[in-house]
Amino acid sequence: MHGLRISPGLLPPECEALRGEVRAFLAEAMADVPVAKRVRNWSGSNPEFTRKMAARGWIGMTWPKRYGGHERSSLERYVVLEEMLAAGAPVGAHWVADRQSGPLLMRYSPDVLAPRYVPQIVRGEAYFCIGMSEPDSGSDLASIRTKAVNTNEGWVINGRKVWTSRAHQAHHMIILVRTGDRSENRHAGLSQLLLDMKTPGITVRPIINQLNQHDFNEVTFDDVLVPHDHLIGSEGEGWKQVGAELAFERSGPERYLSSTQLLLEMLDAADAANPRHAVALGRVVAHYATMRQMSLGVAGMLARGENPALAAALVKDQGALVEQAMPDLAHDLFGGQVAPDSSLEHALRYTTLAAPSFSLRGGTREILRGIIAKGLDLR
Amino acid sequence: MSGVTDNLIEQSAQRLFADAVDKDVRERVEGGVFDARLWGLAVDSGFTLALAGEAAGGIGESWSAVVPILHGIGHWQVPLPLAETMVGALLLSMAGLPVPEGPIALIEQGHGNDLRTTGSGPMLKLSGSATHVAWARHAHSAVVSLADGALALVDLRAAGVTCTERLDAARMPSDTLRLEATRCIAHGSHGLALAQPVWSLGALARSLMMVGALESALEQSVRYAHERVQFGKPIGRNQALQQQLALMAGDAAAARMAALAAAADAPCIAQPDAPAAAFSIAAAKVRCGEAATRACGIAHQVHGAIGFTREHPLHFATRRLWAWREQFGSDAHWAGRLGALAITGGSRAFWPALTRRRFDSVL
Repeated sequence: MHGLRISPGLLPPECEALRGEVRAFLAEAMADVPVAKRVRNWSGSNPEFTRKMAARGWIGMTWPKRYGGHERSSLERYVVLEEMLAAGAPVGAHWVADRQSGPLLMRYSPDVLAPRYVPQIVRGEAYFCIGMSEPDSGSDLASIRTKAVNTNEGWVINGRKVWTSRAHQAHHMIILVRTGDRSENRHAGLSQLLLDMKTPGITVRPIINQLNQHDFNEVTFDDVLVPHDHLIGSEGEGWKQVGAELAFERSGPERYLSSTQLLLEMLDAADAANPRHAVALGRVVAHYATMRQMSLGVAGMLARGENPALAAALVKDQGALVEQAMPDLAHDLFGGQVAPDSSLEHALRYTTLAAPSFSLRGGTREILRGIIAKGLDLR
Repeated sequence: MSGVTDNLIEQSAQRLFADAVDKDVRERVEGGVFDARLWGLAVDSGFTLALAGEAAGGIGESWSAVVPILHGIGHWQVPLPLAETMVGALLLSMAGLPVPEGPIALIEQGHGNDLRTTGSGPMLKLSGSATHVAWARHAHSAVVSLADGALALVDLRAAGVTCTERLDAARMPSDTLRLEATRCIAHGSHGLALAQPVWSLGALARSLMMVGALESALEQSVRYAHERVQFGKPIGRNQALQQQLALMAGDAAAARMAALAAAADAPCIAQPDAPAAAFSIAAAKVRCGEAATRACGIAHQVHGAIGFTREHPLHFATRRLWAWREQFGSDAHWAGRLGALAITGGSRAFWPALTRRRFDSVL
């Protein structure tokens, strides 16, 4: 049961100096951004904002200098991320590259792919998307059918990916493909490839979500040729590599802060003398304080080189509960009394419609609880 | 305070509680007996004075260092007024007052009581009644945190003090005290910036105890899910149960984190200045209380009828969780305070307050 325990993470003093810099930057860069835009949080993207962050050295913060990185601590990076997210900054363009694609390339292709692509990520010029889910493979990721065949010219990909966020804006995709047969080990025969989204044979079609927004896509591959050296890591090791990637994907502060703008609007609309308001919002404050400590604890584990896969699943499951409770709480406290076109209305409308995705993206609630149950030795 | 000391405390708490506390001990105390032998062992281990300063004969440990003791009280369901005595001794030694022998009860003026003071200085007297005073019948003295910020020590065996015996959900003493112009045997300033220090530090102790009880209930539930076979397989093989137990594990992990963070932020002899304590303790009591509510439901559902019997030990953990979630302020009480502060600060103050773990406004 000890894998389920997370040690508290402590932020060293230099982090607080950095926090001041980030807040000053945000006060200026976000001054004219309305709540209706802030609510999008890390789903919002703005290339100009990404370039500004890059200029400050806040992309690829922890990465080695030889890849253009800034060799700051992972806790300093945590501070930048949480400040950006709390302010609803449009960090979406570089988010995936900074969170998982850069680390993946440096780990599994340190001498070939990382030197070519990672410096572009750090400069805020290369955006990545992740090709995992398929029409018949959602939670059951090991059942994917998109195939890459090794030919003399390179890898040739055929198949289809869905729910690929920001494929229409990304320069590159890291795609999980089948390169071998499923043996008795159902996780065998999977590999990861890096591909340029401008490669002939790739078609990106929008899938409009229930917010009427274009975030995810269907991406089809018809004889898409990828150079041999764009195989990431080893052939057949894709499942293991993806597992390591998911620990990064599941533990960050974005896993509990998604509804923050709605919380802020509620604090301004609420009456401190109304016990119903105070108790309900006070519970949210306690959840935020706790989630922040848990998320920091996992950041500390990552910094120490420990495997936080189980802890990350716990954080994401608990964090999604906090995020998803927010629109229902706002409805409970203010439903039917919100002024038209007010910032509270914008935040409530957006978050209500966005919230179902919080326990789907990055691993469904049921998959995460299955991982936790495994940690309890129940599976 | 070094890692070695922490480890020693953990080892001795584990040894003492695992060896000396069993079902019979718990049942005996529920039957109305004070386990003087167990109390003596806890005193001899230095637990009662672990937080108190050296001048009071204590060790001056930090709250983080004594976590294994408080967590252990919950995990092994130790039926002693140990947490109350630790908090009382800490506050007395911070105020430079002598720490009396024997168990100490805790009272926060204005919370569950209508205590009034008359006189001042050596003639300070207390009158009125205080309800839900944990372990009052066995305590030799009570530490009373007064609304004016001072700390008073009352001899509970003095004339004019009457005790009406009551029990909490765990059948632990939760008595009503009546004081009639009872003279305080000592009083002074604890020097803490923490408002309502008894209520706050009591809530911290209960939070850490709840984490121990939560983990006990979780371990029992997981073990039972492995052992109990229905439809030809352990019931823990069912996804419906796995999902419930995973949620319970998440609640336990969150409660643990909240309580450990509060312990790290709490005032101690070496670090009496603790600006984040009020915020972190309130958050911990809220989060632990909520975890207790959900976890008790899941633990009993997983155990089925056997967990509902007096014979099965699950109730020692769950009844304590139900008792402790309401003591020293329920989750709703502390949430109300956090929420009022957050609303008063508004959207601009919220995030800076969260990262500093402190609201600028006070209530």
